[in-house]
Amino acid sequence: MNDLTQLDEPIEIGQSMREEIRRVSHAARARRLLISRIMTSLCALALAIAAVPLVLLLWQLIQRGAPQLTGAFFTKVPATPTLIAPNATGGLSNAIIGSIALNVYAAVMAIPIGVLVGVFLAESTSKFAGALRIIAQTMAGAPSILMGLFAFSFVLQDLHVGFSAIAGSFALAVLMLPVIVLSTEIAVLNVPNTLREAGLALGAKPHKVSLRIVLPSALTGIVTGSILAISRAIGETAPVLLVIGGGYLNSWQPLNPVSALPLSIYENAKSEWPSQRAQVWGAALLLVAFVFVLSLTARIWASRKQRVSN
Amino acid sequence: MIEESVSDLAIHGQVVEEFGSSTTSRTWYHYVLLAACVVFAAVSVGFVGSILQKSLPTWLHHPATVITGSGWQSPTGPFGGLAMIVGTLETSLIALVIAVLIGLGTSISIVFFIPRRLRNIVATLVELLAAVPSIVYGLWGYLVLAPWMYKSVDPWLNSWPFARTLFGDPSQQYGPSLLLAAIVLGVMILPTFVAISREVIAVVPQDLIEASLSLGATRWQVIRKVVLPTSRIGLFGATFLALARATGETVAVALIAGGVAKVQFHLLDPGTSIASWIATEFGEAQGNEISALMALGVLLMLLSFSLSLVSRWLVSRQRKVLAKV
Repeated sequence: MNDLTQLDEPIEIGQSMREEIRRVSHAARARRLLISRIMTSLCALALAIAAVPLVLLLWQLIQRGAPQLTGAFFTKVPATPTLIAPNATGGLSNAIIGSIALNVYAAVMAIPIGVLVGVFLAESTSKFAGALRIIAQTMAGAPSILMGLFAFSFVLQDLHVGFSAIAGSFALAVLMLPVIVLSTEIAVLNVPNTLREAGLALGAKPHKVSLRIVLPSALTGIVTGSILAISRAIGETAPVLLVIGGGYLNSWQPLNPVSALPLSIYENAKSEWPSQRAQVWGAALLLVAFVFVLSLTARIWASRKQRVSN
Repeated sequence: MIEESVSDLAIHGQVVEEFGSSTTSRTWYHYVLLAACVVFAAVSVGFVGSILQKSLPTWLHHPATVITGSGWQSPTGPFGGLAMIVGTLETSLIALVIAVLIGLGTSISIVFFIPRRLRNIVATLVELLAAVPSIVYGLWGYLVLAPWMYKSVDPWLNSWPFARTLFGDPSQQYGPSLLLAAIVLGVMILPTFVAISREVIAVVPQDLIEASLSLGATRWQVIRKVVLPTSRIGLFGATFLALARATGETVAVALIAGGVAKVQFHLLDPGTSIASWIATEFGEAQGNEISALMALGVLLMLLSFSLSLVSRWLVSRQRKVLAKV
C-alpha cells in the first residue's frame, strides 16, 4: 500500500487487508445507516407532532362549532343572557352581514386599484415601478393591527367619520391591496410574450393589446389573487377591531357601526356566560368554512387554468 | 420620475421607440394605470405618515419612555413600552424555535418520505391551515389549551428544578401566560413555515439528490449535505416570514398572553406584546395614550419592515444560488 514496487507481496496479506477494509467500511456504513434511520425517524416524529395540535384544533372546531349553527344563529341579532334565561344568546346575523359588507366594500375599493397597479408593475421597467414593487412587498408583510391604526388615524380622526363599516373596509382594503398588486403582476408576467407580439404585429395599439389580449389571458390569475386577498381579509380581527364600533344591528349601511365574525369571536370568547362562549365556536367554524371555501375555489380555479393552458 | 415611466412602459415603450414616435404611448390607458399607481403610492405614504404623525407628540416629549419605560399608567402616563417589546421578543422567538424545529422535520418528511399521492393532499392541507384566521388559533388557545395547561402542564413544569426562576410564582398563574402565547403562536406559524419551506425544499434539483445517492450517501446524508445547504437561504427566508407573522400577531396574543404590562421573564406569568397591547388598550385610550399607542405602532412597523427587508434580500440570494445550480 505504501510502496508500489512491492508487487510480489504474498497473496495472504492482500487478502487480510481486503477483509480489514471490508470490515471497517461495513462498520462505517452501519453507522451512517443508523444515523440516517435516527434522523429520518426524528423527521417523521416532527410530522406527527405537528399534526397533533392542528388536527385537534380542526376536530374541536367542528365538534363544538357544528351544533351551534342553527337557524337562529344565522337570522337573529345577539342578545345578552340573563340569570333567568342563561341560554338566550340570540344569533350572530349582525356579524355575518357585517363581515360580508366589510369585505365587499373593501374588495370594491381594493381590486380595481390593485389590478391596475399590478398591470403597471408587470409592463413597466421604470424606477417608479421598482419602488412600487418594494412598497407592495413590504406592505404585504406588515402586521394587520397597523392597518387598524391607519384607518383610525386617517378615517376617524382626520376625516371625522365615526365608527363605521366604511372605516373598517378602508383598513381591509389597505390590507388587500398589496396582495392583489403582487398576484396581478405575476399573472400578467405569466402571459406568454408571443401573444403580445402577435397582437402588436397585427397592428393593434399597445393599450388594445394590454386590454384585449393580456388582461383576458391573465384573468384567472387575477381572480385567484383577489379571492385569496379576500379570504385573508375576512378572517382579520385586528384591522377592524379599532374602527367598526361593533354594532348590534343588521346593517349594510357604510356609515353605520357594524360587527364582524372575527370581532364577535374576540369579544364573546371572554364572556362570563358559558352559552356565549359556546356560541363563539359556531362563529369560528363559519369563519373557517368561509376561508376554506374561498381558498379552495381559488386553488381549483388556478389548477383548471393550468390544465387549459397546457 | 412619473413622466419617465409613461414612456417606459416596457413593451409599448420599446415598440413605440422603434417607430420613433413617443406620443402614441401616452394614451388614456397609461394615464389610468399611472393614476392607480399614484393612489397606491399615496395610500402607502399615508399609511406610514399618518401613524408617524399621530405618534409625534410622544416622540417629541417622551421618546425614551416608550422604549425603556416599564410601567403603563392609563390614562395619565407615563406610558412605558419595555414590557411590550420584551414580551413580543420572548413570545415570537420561542414560537419561532418551536415552529422551525418541528416545521423543518415536517417539510422534509412531506417532500421525501410521504407517498407521492398523499403529498399533494398534505400540501393542500398545510396551506389551508396557514389560511386559518389567527383569531381561531387564539380562541382554541384561550378556551381549550389554557385550562388544560393550567390543570395538567403547569403543575408539572412548576415541579422542575429552578422552576421559580424559569416560570415564576405558581400563585400568580391562572392559565394565560407568555409561554402559552408562545406555544399557540408556534402552532399558528407552523403551517406558514411548512408551506414555504416545503416549496423551497421541493425545488432542490433532482440531479443533485440522485448524484449523491448514486455515490452511496444515505438518505440523511443527502438531506444534510445536499438538500439543506442548497435550500439554506430560502429556509432562512421562510423563518423570517414566520417570525414576521409571530411578531405582528395581535388578537390571538391578546386573548392568551394575559395582558399584563410588566417586564416578565417568568414564562408562566401573564405578559403582553406590542400588537396585542395596542388592541386591548385602544378602546379606552384618550389623547396622550393614543399617541403612545401609535408610537408602539411605529416600533412594530420598524420591526416588520426590517424583517421583510432581510427576508426579501435572502429570497433574492436564493434565486441566484439556484440559478447557478
